[in-house]
Amino acid sequence: MANLLWLQGGACSGNTMSFLNAEEPSACDLVTDFGINVLWHPSLGLELGENLRRMLDAIVSGEIAMDIFVFEGTVVNAPNGTGEWNRFCGRPMKDWVADLAKVATFTVAVGDCATWGGIPATAPNPSESEGLQFLKREHGGFLGKDYTSKAGLPVINIPGCPAHPDWITQIVVAVATGRGGDLTLDEFQRPKTFFTSFTQTGCTRNMHFAYKVSATEFGQRKGCLFYDLGCRGPMTHSPCNRILWNRVSSKTRAGMPCLGCTEPEFPFFDLEPGTVFKTQTVMGAPKDMPTGVDKAGYIKLTAAAKAASPAWAEEDLFVV
Amino acid sequence: MASDPEDILKTIAAMLEAGLETEVEPFPETDKEFADILIKLRQLDPNDLKGKLVIGGFVDHPYGPEQQRCMECMYYLVHRKWCDLPELAVPVEPEWWCRLWRI
Ligand code: SF4
Ligand code: SF4
Ligand code: SF4
Repeated sequence: MANLLWLQGGACSGNTMSFLNAEEPSACDLVTDFGINVLWHPSLGLELGENLRRMLDAIVSGEIAMDIFVFEGTVVNAPNGTGEWNRFCGRPMKDWVADLAKVATFTVAVGDCATWGGIPATAPNPSESEGLQFLKREHGGFLGKDYTSKAGLPVINIPGCPAHPDWITQIVVAVATGRGGDLTLDEFQRPKTFFTSFTQTGCTRNMHFAYKVSATEFGQRKGCLFYDLGCRGPMTHSPCNRILWNRVSSKTRAGMPCLGCTEPEFPFFDLEPGTVFKTQTVMGAPKDMPTGVDKAGYIKLTAAAKAASPAWAEEDLFVV
Repeated sequence: MASDPEDILKTIAAMLEAGLETEVEPFPETDKEFADILIKLRQLDPNDLKGKLVIGGFVDHPYGPEQQRCMECMYYLVHRKWCDLPELAVPVEPEWWCRLWRI
Protein backbone atom coordinates (compact mmCIF):
# COMPACT_ATOMS: atom_id res chain seq x y z
CA MET A 1 0.00 0.00 0.00
CA ALA A 2 1.40 3.40 -0.99
CA ASN A 3 -0.18 6.64 0.19
CA LEU A 4 -0.53 9.33 -2.45
CA LEU A 5 -1.43 12.98 -1.92
CA TRP A 6 -2.15 15.25 -4.90
CA LEU A 7 -2.40 19.03 -4.50
CA GLN A 8 -2.89 21.85 -6.98
CA GLY A 9 -1.23 25.27 -7.02
CA GLY A 10 -1.49 27.79 -9.85
CA ALA A 11 -3.03 25.51 -12.43
CA CYS A 12 -5.89 24.99 -14.89
CA SER A 13 -6.56 21.40 -13.70
CA GLY A 14 -5.54 20.10 -17.12
CA ASN A 15 -3.24 17.50 -15.62
CA THR A 16 -6.01 16.29 -13.34
CA MET A 17 -8.25 15.92 -16.41
CA SER A 18 -5.48 14.07 -18.16
CA PHE A 19 -4.86 11.79 -15.18
CA LEU A 20 -8.55 10.91 -14.91
CA ASN A 21 -8.47 9.85 -18.58
CA ALA A 22 -5.63 7.41 -18.07
CA GLU A 23 -6.09 3.95 -19.55
CA GLU A 24 -2.90 1.98 -19.05
CA PRO A 25 -3.25 1.84 -16.12
CA SER A 26 -6.36 3.86 -15.31
CA ALA A 27 -6.82 5.92 -12.15
CA CYS A 28 -9.09 3.13 -10.81
CA ASP A 29 -6.47 0.48 -11.61
CA LEU A 30 -4.03 2.39 -9.43
CA VAL A 31 -6.29 1.76 -6.46
CA THR A 32 -7.57 -1.74 -7.21
CA ASP A 33 -4.51 -3.36 -8.83
CA PHE A 34 -1.51 -1.43 -7.63
CA GLY A 35 -2.39 -0.75 -4.00
CA ILE A 36 -2.32 3.00 -4.20
CA ASN A 37 -4.27 4.76 -1.49
CA VAL A 38 -5.27 8.23 -2.64
CA LEU A 39 -5.18 10.21 0.61
CA TRP A 40 -6.63 13.23 -1.13
CA HIS A 41 -6.95 14.68 -4.61
CA PRO A 42 -8.77 17.92 -5.58
CA SER A 43 -11.30 16.05 -7.74
CA LEU A 44 -11.47 12.77 -5.82
CA GLY A 45 -10.86 13.65 -2.18
CA LEU A 46 -13.73 13.23 0.27
CA GLU A 47 -12.51 15.38 3.14
CA LEU A 48 -13.43 19.03 3.33
CA GLY A 49 -12.53 21.97 5.53
CA GLU A 50 -11.32 21.09 9.03
CA ASN A 51 -11.11 17.37 8.28
CA LEU A 52 -8.76 18.00 5.39
CA ARG A 53 -6.69 20.36 7.45
CA ARG A 54 -6.36 17.71 10.16
CA MET A 55 -5.24 15.18 7.56
CA LEU A 56 -2.61 17.54 6.13
CA ASP A 57 -1.33 18.32 9.64
CA ALA A 58 -1.09 14.59 10.35
CA ILE A 59 0.94 14.09 7.17
CA VAL A 60 3.28 16.95 8.03
CA SER A 61 3.80 15.60 11.56
CA GLY A 62 4.55 12.11 10.22
CA GLU A 63 1.51 10.54 11.82
CA ILE A 64 0.29 9.58 8.32
CA ALA A 65 3.04 8.43 5.97
CA MET A 66 3.03 10.01 2.52
CA ASP A 67 4.84 7.88 -0.04
CA ILE A 68 4.07 9.99 -3.09
CA PHE A 69 3.48 13.72 -3.11
CA VAL A 70 2.14 14.84 -6.49
CA PHE A 71 2.00 18.54 -7.17
CA GLU A 72 0.17 20.09 -10.12
CA GLY A 73 0.44 23.81 -10.91
CA THR A 74 2.94 26.47 -10.01
CA VAL A 75 4.02 27.54 -6.59
CA VAL A 76 2.47 31.00 -6.37
CA ASN A 77 4.58 33.53 -4.43
CA ALA A 78 2.58 36.69 -5.10
CA PRO A 79 2.05 39.17 -3.66
CA ASN A 80 5.58 40.07 -2.60
CA GLY A 81 6.69 36.56 -1.78
CA THR A 82 3.84 35.88 0.65
CA GLY A 83 1.89 33.37 -1.48
CA GLU A 84 -1.37 34.89 -0.24
CA TRP A 85 -2.85 34.80 -3.74
CA ASN A 86 -3.11 31.02 -3.50
CA ARG A 87 -4.42 30.03 -0.10
CA PHE A 88 -5.44 26.48 0.74
CA CYS A 89 -6.71 25.01 3.97
CA GLY A 90 -6.08 28.12 5.99
CA ARG A 91 -2.62 29.10 4.81
CA PRO A 92 -0.65 29.88 1.63
CA MET A 93 -0.28 26.80 -0.54
CA LYS A 94 3.45 27.44 -0.75
CA ASP A 95 3.76 26.82 2.99
CA TRP A 96 1.99 23.47 2.64
CA VAL A 97 4.30 22.56 -0.24
CA ALA A 98 7.39 23.43 1.79
CA ASP A 99 6.23 21.29 4.74
CA LEU A 100 4.92 18.37 2.70
CA ALA A 101 7.99 18.14 0.46
CA LYS A 102 10.09 17.54 3.59
CA VAL A 103 8.15 14.42 4.57
CA ALA A 104 7.48 12.96 1.10
CA THR A 105 9.23 9.74 0.16
CA PHE A 106 8.91 10.73 -3.51
CA THR A 107 7.91 14.13 -4.88
CA VAL A 108 6.45 14.25 -8.38
CA ALA A 109 5.78 17.46 -10.34
CA VAL A 110 3.07 16.92 -12.93
CA GLY A 111 2.69 19.29 -15.89
CA ASP A 112 4.72 22.28 -17.01
CA CYS A 113 3.47 24.59 -14.28
CA ALA A 114 4.73 22.35 -11.48
CA THR A 115 7.94 21.40 -13.28
CA TRP A 116 9.18 24.80 -14.51
CA GLY A 117 6.44 27.36 -14.23
CA GLY A 118 4.79 26.90 -17.63
CA ILE A 119 2.34 29.51 -18.82
CA PRO A 120 1.75 31.25 -15.44
CA ALA A 121 5.50 31.94 -15.09
CA THR A 122 5.68 33.53 -18.55
CA ALA A 123 6.82 37.16 -18.45
CA PRO A 124 5.69 39.32 -16.75
CA ASN A 125 4.75 36.48 -14.36
CA PRO A 126 2.25 38.47 -12.27
CA SER A 127 1.65 35.60 -9.84
CA GLU A 128 5.42 35.28 -9.15
CA SER A 129 5.08 31.64 -10.09
CA GLU A 130 7.82 29.03 -10.17
CA GLY A 131 8.11 25.31 -10.54
CA LEU A 132 9.06 22.95 -7.73
CA GLN A 133 12.71 22.69 -8.70
CA PHE A 134 13.07 24.81 -11.83
CA LEU A 135 12.05 28.22 -13.08
CA LYS A 136 12.06 27.69 -16.83
CA ARG A 137 15.60 26.39 -17.57
CA GLU A 138 17.08 27.67 -14.31
CA HIS A 139 17.68 25.00 -11.67
CA GLY A 140 16.39 25.88 -8.21
CA GLY A 141 12.72 26.74 -8.25
CA PHE A 142 10.70 26.79 -5.03
CA LEU A 143 12.38 23.85 -3.29
CA GLY A 144 15.93 24.78 -4.29
CA LYS A 145 18.36 22.85 -6.42
CA ASP A 146 19.64 20.67 -3.58
CA TYR A 147 16.23 19.33 -2.59
CA THR A 148 15.80 15.57 -2.47
CA SER A 149 12.83 13.65 -1.17
CA LYS A 150 13.27 11.02 1.54
CA ALA A 151 14.03 8.42 -1.13
CA GLY A 152 17.05 10.48 -2.16
CA LEU A 153 15.69 11.57 -5.53
CA PRO A 154 15.13 15.15 -6.66
CA VAL A 155 11.64 16.10 -7.81
CA ILE A 156 10.57 13.73 -10.59
CA ASN A 157 9.44 16.05 -13.39
CA ILE A 158 6.66 14.89 -15.70
CA PRO A 159 6.22 17.92 -17.94
CA GLY A 160 3.60 18.55 -20.60
CA CYS A 161 0.73 20.94 -21.07
CA PRO A 162 -0.87 18.69 -20.00
CA ALA A 163 1.22 15.59 -19.36
CA HIS A 164 -0.02 12.48 -21.15
CA PRO A 165 -2.15 10.35 -18.76
CA ASP A 166 0.07 7.29 -19.11
CA TRP A 167 3.25 9.21 -18.31
CA ILE A 168 1.64 10.11 -14.99
CA THR A 169 0.17 6.76 -14.04
CA GLN A 170 3.16 4.70 -15.17
CA ILE A 171 5.54 6.76 -13.08
CA VAL A 172 3.20 6.62 -10.08
CA VAL A 173 3.00 2.83 -10.44
CA ALA A 174 6.77 2.52 -10.74
CA VAL A 175 7.21 4.46 -7.53
CA ALA A 176 4.38 2.67 -5.69
CA THR A 177 5.70 -0.77 -6.60
CA GLY A 178 9.16 -0.04 -5.27
CA ARG A 179 10.82 0.63 -8.62
CA GLY A 180 11.27 4.35 -8.00
CA GLY A 181 14.99 3.85 -7.44
CA ASP A 182 15.31 2.43 -10.96
CA LEU A 183 14.08 5.62 -12.59
CA THR A 184 16.77 7.43 -14.50
CA LEU A 185 16.24 11.12 -15.00
CA ASP A 186 17.65 13.50 -17.59
CA GLU A 187 19.23 16.90 -16.86
CA PHE A 188 15.74 18.36 -16.33
CA GLN A 189 14.78 15.48 -14.03
CA ARG A 190 12.42 13.98 -16.61
CA PRO A 191 12.19 10.17 -16.62
CA LYS A 192 14.39 9.05 -19.50
CA THR A 193 12.02 6.28 -20.41
CA PHE A 194 9.63 8.90 -21.80
CA PHE A 195 11.78 11.88 -22.60
CA THR A 196 14.81 10.62 -24.50
CA SER A 197 13.24 10.47 -27.97
CA PHE A 198 11.61 13.35 -29.79
CA THR A 199 8.05 14.17 -30.81
CA GLN A 200 9.36 13.55 -34.31
CA THR A 201 10.19 9.93 -33.41
CA GLY A 202 7.34 8.00 -34.97
CA CYS A 203 5.76 11.01 -36.65
CA THR A 204 3.93 9.97 -39.80
CA ARG A 205 5.26 13.06 -41.57
CA ASN A 206 8.94 12.13 -41.33
CA MET A 207 9.13 11.43 -45.06
CA HIS A 208 7.80 14.89 -45.76
CA PHE A 209 10.42 16.29 -43.40
CA ALA A 210 13.14 14.49 -45.36
CA TYR A 211 11.76 15.56 -48.75
CA LYS A 212 11.07 19.08 -47.55
CA VAL A 213 7.44 19.13 -48.48
CA SER A 214 5.59 21.61 -46.32
CA ALA A 215 2.10 21.54 -44.83
CA THR A 216 0.82 25.05 -45.38
CA GLU A 217 -2.41 24.91 -43.41
CA PHE A 218 -3.63 23.17 -40.24
CA GLY A 219 -5.12 19.75 -40.75
CA GLN A 220 -3.52 19.12 -44.15
CA ARG A 221 -2.72 15.47 -44.55
CA LYS A 222 0.36 16.08 -46.65
CA GLY A 223 3.55 17.81 -45.68
CA CYS A 224 5.68 18.37 -42.63
CA LEU A 225 4.63 21.05 -40.17
CA PHE A 226 8.20 22.20 -39.51
CA TYR A 227 8.83 24.45 -42.48
CA ASP A 228 5.90 26.80 -42.20
CA LEU A 229 3.77 26.08 -39.15
CA GLY A 230 6.47 26.14 -36.49
CA CYS A 231 6.46 22.46 -35.52
CA ARG A 232 8.99 21.87 -32.74
CA GLY A 233 8.92 18.09 -33.15
CA PRO A 234 12.60 17.76 -34.06
CA MET A 235 13.76 19.57 -30.91
CA THR A 236 11.16 18.48 -28.34
CA HIS A 237 11.71 15.53 -26.03
CA SER A 238 8.42 13.66 -25.84
CA PRO A 239 7.00 10.28 -26.81
CA CYS A 240 3.84 11.80 -28.34
CA ASN A 241 4.18 9.75 -31.52
CA ARG A 242 5.16 6.56 -29.66
CA ILE A 243 2.55 6.64 -26.90
CA LEU A 244 -0.41 8.05 -28.77
CA TRP A 245 -3.01 10.33 -27.27
CA ASN A 246 -6.31 8.58 -26.63
CA ARG A 247 -4.52 5.59 -28.14
CA VAL A 248 -5.21 6.89 -31.65
CA SER A 249 -3.53 10.14 -32.53
CA SER A 250 -1.13 12.96 -31.80
CA LYS A 251 -0.92 16.62 -32.65
CA THR A 252 1.21 16.08 -35.74
CA ARG A 253 -0.98 13.22 -36.96
CA ALA A 254 -3.94 15.55 -36.80
CA GLY A 255 -2.09 18.25 -38.72
CA MET A 256 -1.25 20.45 -35.77
CA PRO A 257 2.36 21.42 -35.01
CA CYS A 258 4.08 20.31 -31.82
CA LEU A 259 4.39 23.36 -29.58
CA GLY A 260 7.27 21.94 -27.58
CA CYS A 261 5.26 21.70 -24.39
CA THR A 262 7.62 19.31 -22.61
CA GLU A 263 10.56 21.72 -22.76
CA PRO A 264 11.34 24.31 -20.06
CA GLU A 265 10.95 27.30 -22.40
CA PHE A 266 7.35 26.51 -23.24
CA PRO A 267 5.49 28.68 -24.21
CA PHE A 268 8.25 29.86 -26.54
CA PHE A 269 9.12 33.51 -27.28
CA ASP A 270 6.94 34.57 -24.33
CA LEU A 271 3.91 34.27 -26.64
CA GLU A 272 4.87 37.42 -28.56
CA PRO A 273 2.30 38.00 -31.34
CA GLY A 274 3.30 36.21 -34.56
CA THR A 275 5.58 33.67 -32.90
CA VAL A 276 3.05 30.88 -32.39
CA PHE A 277 2.36 28.43 -35.23
CA LYS A 278 5.04 30.08 -37.35
CA THR A 279 8.55 28.95 -38.13
CA GLN A 280 10.86 31.84 -37.32
CA THR A 281 12.94 32.83 -40.33
CA VAL A 282 15.57 35.39 -41.24
CA MET A 283 15.85 36.37 -44.91
CA GLY A 284 13.74 33.36 -45.88
CA ALA A 285 15.86 30.76 -44.06
CA PRO A 286 15.04 29.14 -40.70
CA LYS A 287 16.40 31.06 -37.71
CA ASP A 288 17.47 27.78 -36.13
CA MET A 289 19.55 26.17 -38.91
CA PRO A 290 20.81 22.65 -38.39
CA THR A 291 24.16 23.04 -36.58
CA GLY A 292 27.15 23.53 -38.87
CA VAL A 293 25.15 24.19 -42.05
CA ASP A 294 25.34 27.57 -43.77
CA LYS A 295 22.59 29.10 -45.85
CA ALA A 296 24.14 28.29 -49.24
CA GLY A 297 24.68 24.68 -48.17
CA TYR A 298 21.14 24.45 -46.85
CA ILE A 299 19.75 25.76 -50.15
CA LYS A 300 21.68 23.08 -52.06
CA LEU A 301 20.57 20.37 -49.66
CA THR A 302 16.96 21.49 -49.99
CA ALA A 303 17.07 21.45 -53.79
CA ALA A 304 18.56 17.94 -53.75
CA ALA A 305 15.96 16.66 -51.26
CA LYS A 306 13.10 18.12 -53.26
CA ALA A 307 14.45 16.78 -56.54
CA ALA A 308 14.53 13.30 -55.00
CA SER A 309 11.03 13.44 -53.54
CA PRO A 310 8.48 10.95 -54.85
CA ALA A 311 5.18 12.15 -56.31
CA TRP A 312 3.15 10.73 -53.44
CA ALA A 313 4.89 13.11 -51.05
CA GLU A 314 2.83 15.88 -52.64
CA GLU A 315 -0.50 14.13 -52.33
CA ASP A 316 -2.85 14.25 -49.37
CA LEU A 317 -2.26 11.13 -47.33
CA PHE A 318 -4.50 9.52 -44.80
CA VAL A 319 -2.14 9.86 -41.90
CA VAL A 320 -4.18 9.25 -38.77
CA MET B 1 -9.07 33.21 -66.99
CA ALA B 2 -7.81 29.83 -68.17
CA SER B 3 -8.24 27.16 -65.50
CA ASP B 4 -5.91 24.45 -66.76
CA PRO B 5 -2.59 24.74 -64.84
CA GLU B 6 -0.62 24.32 -68.08
CA ASP B 7 -2.47 27.25 -69.64
CA ILE B 8 -2.07 29.39 -66.55
CA LEU B 9 1.64 28.60 -66.49
CA LYS B 10 1.93 29.76 -70.09
CA THR B 11 -0.03 32.93 -69.32
CA ILE B 12 2.26 33.75 -66.38
CA ALA B 13 5.38 32.99 -68.41
CA ALA B 14 4.18 35.31 -71.16
CA MET B 15 3.44 38.13 -68.71
CA LEU B 16 6.87 37.84 -67.11
CA GLU B 17 8.60 37.59 -70.48
CA ALA B 18 6.80 40.72 -71.63
CA GLY B 19 8.54 42.55 -68.80
CA LEU B 20 5.81 42.80 -66.16
CA GLU B 21 7.15 45.05 -63.39
CA THR B 22 6.77 43.25 -60.07
CA GLU B 23 7.62 44.29 -56.49
CA VAL B 24 10.81 42.27 -56.14
CA GLU B 25 12.03 44.62 -53.41
CA PRO B 26 11.86 44.95 -50.51
CA PHE B 27 12.51 41.33 -49.60
CA PRO B 28 10.57 40.53 -46.39
CA GLU B 29 13.36 40.16 -43.86
CA THR B 30 11.15 39.50 -40.88
CA ASP B 31 8.05 37.42 -40.28
CA LYS B 32 6.06 40.62 -39.79
CA GLU B 33 7.03 41.91 -43.23
CA PHE B 34 6.27 38.50 -44.70
CA ALA B 35 2.85 38.49 -43.05
CA ASP B 36 2.13 41.99 -44.38
CA ILE B 37 2.64 40.79 -47.96
CA LEU B 38 0.32 37.85 -47.29
CA ILE B 39 -2.34 40.26 -46.03
CA LYS B 40 -2.12 42.22 -49.29
CA LEU B 41 -2.38 39.03 -51.32
CA ARG B 42 -5.45 37.92 -49.39
CA GLN B 43 -7.26 41.07 -50.42
CA LEU B 44 -6.95 40.13 -54.10
CA ASP B 45 -9.51 38.23 -56.11
CA PRO B 46 -8.07 34.67 -56.18
CA ASN B 47 -8.19 34.84 -59.99
CA ASP B 48 -6.21 38.07 -60.16
CA LEU B 49 -3.06 36.57 -61.64
CA LYS B 50 -1.37 39.87 -62.40
CA GLY B 51 -1.99 41.14 -58.88
CA LYS B 52 -0.42 38.01 -57.40
CA LEU B 53 2.65 38.31 -59.63
CA VAL B 54 3.15 42.00 -58.87
CA ILE B 55 2.68 41.83 -55.09
CA GLY B 56 4.57 38.53 -54.90
CA GLY B 57 7.50 40.07 -56.76
CA PHE B 58 7.79 37.30 -59.35
CA VAL B 59 10.76 36.96 -61.72
CA ASP B 60 11.30 34.25 -64.34
CA HIS B 61 14.91 33.52 -63.35
CA PRO B 62 16.90 32.65 -60.21
CA TYR B 63 17.41 35.59 -57.88
CA GLY B 64 20.14 37.07 -55.70
CA PRO B 65 23.73 36.07 -54.90
CA GLU B 66 22.55 32.65 -53.73
CA GLN B 67 20.64 32.09 -56.97
CA GLN B 68 17.43 31.35 -55.13
CA ARG B 69 14.74 29.50 -57.07
CA CYS B 70 11.26 28.08 -56.62
CA MET B 71 13.01 24.72 -56.88
CA GLU B 72 14.20 24.82 -53.26
CA CYS B 73 11.39 26.95 -51.86
CA MET B 74 9.34 25.18 -49.18
CA TYR B 75 6.16 25.94 -51.04
CA TYR B 76 7.21 24.41 -54.35
CA LEU B 77 5.73 21.04 -55.29
CA VAL B 78 8.20 19.50 -57.72
CA HIS B 79 5.94 17.02 -59.47
CA ARG B 80 3.03 19.35 -59.89
CA LYS B 81 5.24 22.35 -60.71
CA TRP B 82 3.01 24.22 -58.30
CA CYS B 83 3.40 26.96 -55.69
CA ASP B 84 1.52 25.64 -52.67
CA LEU B 85 1.52 28.89 -50.69
CA PRO B 86 -2.26 29.26 -50.25
CA GLU B 87 -2.16 32.99 -51.00
CA LEU B 88 -0.48 32.35 -54.37
CA ALA B 89 -1.59 28.84 -55.44
CA VAL B 90 -0.30 29.12 -58.99
CA PRO B 91 1.73 26.89 -61.32
CA VAL B 92 5.40 27.94 -61.45
CA GLU B 93 8.63 26.88 -63.16
CA PRO B 94 11.47 25.57 -60.94
CA GLU B 95 13.83 28.32 -62.15
CA TRP B 96 11.51 31.17 -61.20
CA TRP B 97 11.50 33.04 -57.92
CA CYS B 98 9.33 35.38 -55.90
CA ARG B 99 9.98 37.38 -52.74
CA LEU B 100 7.92 35.00 -50.61
CA TRP B 101 10.67 32.42 -51.13
CA ARG B 102 11.41 30.46 -47.95
CA ILE B 103 13.35 27.33 -47.19
S1 SF4 C 1 5.40 17.35 -38.52
FE1 SF4 C 1 6.81 17.99 -36.86
S2 SF4 C 1 7.32 16.10 -35.80
FE2 SF4 C 1 6.43 15.50 -37.77
S3 SF4 C 1 8.16 15.27 -39.18
FE3 SF4 C 1 7.46 17.38 -39.36
S4 SF4 C 1 8.73 18.54 -37.90
FE4 SF4 C 1 8.88 16.38 -37.37
S1 SF4 D 1 3.04 17.03 -29.55
FE1 SF4 D 1 4.41 18.55 -28.62
S2 SF4 D 1 3.04 20.16 -27.84
FE2 SF4 D 1 1.79 18.33 -28.23
S3 SF4 D 1 1.74 17.24 -26.28
FE3 SF4 D 1 3.44 16.38 -27.45
S4 SF4 D 1 5.24 17.55 -26.79
FE4 SF4 D 1 3.42 18.69 -26.17
S1 SF4 E 1 6.56 31.23 -52.80
FE1 SF4 E 1 8.26 29.93 -53.41
S2 SF4 E 1 7.40 28.44 -54.87
FE2 SF4 E 1 5.95 30.12 -54.63
S3 SF4 E 1 6.44 31.44 -56.33
FE3 SF4 E 1 7.54 32.22 -54.54
S4 SF4 E 1 9.56 31.26 -54.67
FE4 SF4 E 1 8.22 30.13 -56.04
